[in-house]
Amino acid sequence: MMDFLNLIFDPLREVFLKFKSFLPNLLAMLVIMLLGIIMARIIRVLLVKFLTAISFDSWCDRMGFTTLMRKGDLWGKPAVTLGAIVYWLLIMITLMVGLSALQIVAVDNLVAQFFSYMPRVFSAALILIIGYVLAGFISRGVLIAAVNSGYHYAKLLAEAIRALLILLILAMTMEQLQIAPNIVLAAFSIIFGGIVVALSISFGVGGIDAAKRMIERDSGENRASKSSGDIDHI
Amino acid sequence: MSSVILRAEVQGQIEKIAQADIVVGIPSFNNAGTIGHVVRAVQAGLGKYFPSARAVIVNSDGGSTDNTMETVRNTSIEDFSAILLHHRVEPISKISFPYSGIPGKGSAFRAIFQIAQALDAKACVVVDSDLRSITPEWVELLVKPVLEGGFDYVAPLYHRHKFDGTITNSIVYPLTRALYGKRVRQPIGGDFGFSGRLAQFYLSKDVWESDVARFGIDIWMTTTAIANGFRVAQSFLGAKIHDAKDPGTDLSSMLYQVVSATFDLMEGYADAWRPVRGSEDVPSFGFEYTVGLEQVNVNTGRMLHLFREGIRSLHEMWRDILGAGDFGEVERLGTLRDEDFVFPLSLWTRIVYDYAIAFHRHNFAREHLIKSLVPLYLAKTAAFIIAARNMDASEAEAEIERLCMEFESSKDYLVTSWK
Amino acid sequence: MSDFHQTGIITTLHQLGKSSLDRLEAELYSFSRNRPVALVLPALYSEFEGPAMPGIVQELAKVKYLNEVVLVLDKASEKEFQRVREFMSPIPTEVKIVHNDGKRVSEIYQTFARHGFDVGERGKGRSVWLAYGYVLARRRSDVIALHDCDILTYSRELLARLCYPVVNPNLDYAFCKGYYSRVSDKFNGRVTRLLVTPLVRAIQQLIGPHEFLSFLDSFRYPLAGEFCMITDMARVNRIPWDWGLEVGSLAEVHRNFSPRRICQVDIAANYDHKHQVLSADDASKGLMKMTVDICKSIFRTLASEGVVFSDGLFKSLLVSYLRQAEDTILKYEADAAINGFKFDRHDEAKAVEAFTKAIGMATQSFMENPMATPLIPNWNRVTSAIPDIFEMLQIAVDADNQ
Repeated sequence: MMDFLNLIFDPLREVFLKFKSFLPNLLAMLVIMLLGIIMARIIRVLLVKFLTAISFDSWCDRMGFTTLMRKGDLWGKPAVTLGAIVYWLLIMITLMVGLSALQIVAVDNLVAQFFSYMPRVFSAALILIIGYVLAGFISRGVLIAAVNSGYHYAKLLAEAIRALLILLILAMTMEQLQIAPNIVLAAFSIIFGGIVVALSISFGVGGIDAAKRMIERDSGENRASKSSGDIDHI
Repeated sequence: MSSVILRAEVQGQIEKIAQADIVVGIPSFNNAGTIGHVVRAVQAGLGKYFPSARAVIVNSDGGSTDNTMETVRNTSIEDFSAILLHHRVEPISKISFPYSGIPGKGSAFRAIFQIAQALDAKACVVVDSDLRSITPEWVELLVKPVLEGGFDYVAPLYHRHKFDGTITNSIVYPLTRALYGKRVRQPIGGDFGFSGRLAQFYLSKDVWESDVARFGIDIWMTTTAIANGFRVAQSFLGAKIHDAKDPGTDLSSMLYQVVSATFDLMEGYADAWRPVRGSEDVPSFGFEYTVGLEQVNVNTGRMLHLFREGIRSLHEMWRDILGAGDFGEVERLGTLRDEDFVFPLSLWTRIVYDYAIAFHRHNFAREHLIKSLVPLYLAKTAAFIIAARNMDASEAEAEIERLCMEFESSKDYLVTSWK
Repeated sequence: MSDFHQTGIITTLHQLGKSSLDRLEAELYSFSRNRPVALVLPALYSEFEGPAMPGIVQELAKVKYLNEVVLVLDKASEKEFQRVREFMSPIPTEVKIVHNDGKRVSEIYQTFARHGFDVGERGKGRSVWLAYGYVLARRRSDVIALHDCDILTYSRELLARLCYPVVNPNLDYAFCKGYYSRVSDKFNGRVTRLLVTPLVRAIQQLIGPHEFLSFLDSFRYPLAGEFCMITDMARVNRIPWDWGLEVGSLAEVHRNFSPRRICQVDIAANYDHKHQVLSADDASKGLMKMTVDICKSIFRTLASEGVVFSDGLFKSLLVSYLRQAEDTILKYEADAAINGFKFDRHDEAKAVEAFTKAIGMATQSFMENPMATPLIPNWNRVTSAIPDIFEMLQIAVDADNQ
């Protein structure tokens, strides 16, 4: 009879003991998560205050980030949005730290993977942001230069350069995130190469007449402007 | 910081000369073809009008490879009696040397200022080395107001073709005049006279590592003199004919250099220009006369074509800078036919002010900002050429005067929007 | 480019071709010496943090013909009020800010209450009314122009065109309302398209020709918030403080002035502002509250002109409206097709459903209490009861702006 009872109680006791040893871990996790959430909230408030103080929003307006957000149907203020991103990032980190406090092997592995992946996420985000600003800057420079030299397809050229740069940046980001790196590389090479080939073919074949006209007109104009005499702007 | 950048041999020359009344500075860079004429004209002028003054000609060279400096050293007037009644009492010294520092006209001028300071000069003159129309009288006209009139700064007045100097006429002159309230007609003329006191003041400014050293020294000198309350005059020098500019420098970088230098000065002197309203004449010297105008045909069609391309491609940027109302006006101009094209003066005024405000607010990269002004500037220039086609010089000048009045009467907008 | 057809009993001024803003402003400038113009801007503090206000201030900074700008600022703290003053400083015209939540202006509101005036709840109507009072008190302007502060596509051409018909002494218009096409890549302005116009036409169908209805139907955009009027009108007109503001104001205009002196003007080729969300269930929120108020305002005006509303009439009205609205959807579908616009028929039908519900709610509320009026008394009445009110108001606002 006792044996039978033991048979029943032993597993129960074991579960209870395990639970008893596990309980501090669980408490630790809860405390970590609670503190983490509070910290994250405080950091968010401080960050938003700080960003507002340095007029981050108007900087975003200038850099075109606000427009980008609006295109993506995000209607919050840039500062608040960045605050929210940082907040959720911190919450995720808290969650990971909290889970690791449970000291379960499977979870630990997951956490370790998460943290080893974090730097890549950061550098990818950095590449994305800097790349976006740079692409805008370069394409605007091209646009103005092309307009000032009277090139008819200035806007198209600038947009094409911008699209290519964005493509390049996206590929760099993907590579950084190690999302199917081989495929990304292959796809990028194919697309980029394809565009270049397509452009050269279309310019070569379709553009012969246009190019001829352009050259003829340009030289005609040059002759005309030479004979007409230029004014001195300064 | 004073004279450490001058070479030892130059130092030696300065010590030998010890003191001078007049320093004539000629900045140069590969001007062997023209600088001889300039040096001769200056020598003759000094000999004729200031026979008893101790004078030094300073050639500050930017590393020419065409023997510019040798030309300067070897040029002298053999027979003074052809132009002079009296023999000159004092000899004219010459210093010719390559300046050091950031390459540019500003650094060349700095060296000239330093020599003027070291020699304790009473008056200085700077003239361009590519001038073909300089006469001995220029020296007198630029120096006399300083030596005898008590002026600190003498700006030039030229007779130019009505279509020339359009950046000056449509941006720099109206803007500086409205800002600082002094009607200096050629603020970026390139040939100036100034007192030793002002040269020392220039040297005391900490700008020699900035863009001023490269370009924009002309507008910087004029603005610094006006805004700091120095006594300013201008002298009529006659025609200005100089070598054709290097074709490599295109319009957009030219506009960028001149306009960014002008706008940049607005930052530092905001307190000086904000309270100014209206403008006043500055005393003028010299005998004004008009020269005949040859007919110049300008291809306004191409200018307007560029302008319309600008509307098509730069509309987002322009709407941002000018605001919806004035951009609408610009768009309307785009629909006008070439032969009826007019650019309202009030609109142009607001455009220049809007660009100044955008420059001040750092809304765009500065080079992008100012280069995006090119199509608008071309449209304004084309409109002026179309309007002034059958005008004589005084009528064309009256048109510029109207623009200036518009700049002055709209200045409140600039002042209230400058935050 | 629009057509040049004249519809209805009021004058329509079209935008034909591209006229010169400089010319318009030059004329306004010369007229404005004899007829000074005040611009009234109702604004919430939140609008100063939005995308539209910087553009509006940038444009107003270039306007020279205005005599004064009166900005009524709602929902702002003292600190925010100061920030708004700084924000408005590029405008060269004298700008006075009525700080609705300031302690001095609150005191003015309490003075109204002490004398038994119900000036209604906080909102655009009440703000605008107080701004009129301030302009009247200052006695420095003969014309009042007004537009909202959430216009994303604002150009000062809009203001110039709005003011011109009233300011030009040769035209002699007393009231001018703006209109514009609300299109982007689709038709916006649902309330006007699918509620007001079909409703007005449905009522006309039921009760026969009625002068106010044809007056209302003459307006191409009866809900436009932009208008311009002579200051005398601000003295005698009563303003609703609820969402019936635009329609209620038109009713007062119709009551006090002949249609010959009323016009509408095309003020913008493109117009966009903050969009309201349509909530079909909640009558107190957003667009739904607005539509209920608008319907009530129309019913009330008609009742006051002798139209008898019965239960049966209202029942027929719902059906008649639905038919009108459905016909209208068909018309706009065709219009969208030829212009290559996006057109979501389901979405439009859903809006009509919601509007039908709103009309139902409005009729119910009207039947229950036909006397309930959200009209703020006109300034003539207020000044006769509180003779010093103008002086008090002026002192309060000027002290705030010191």
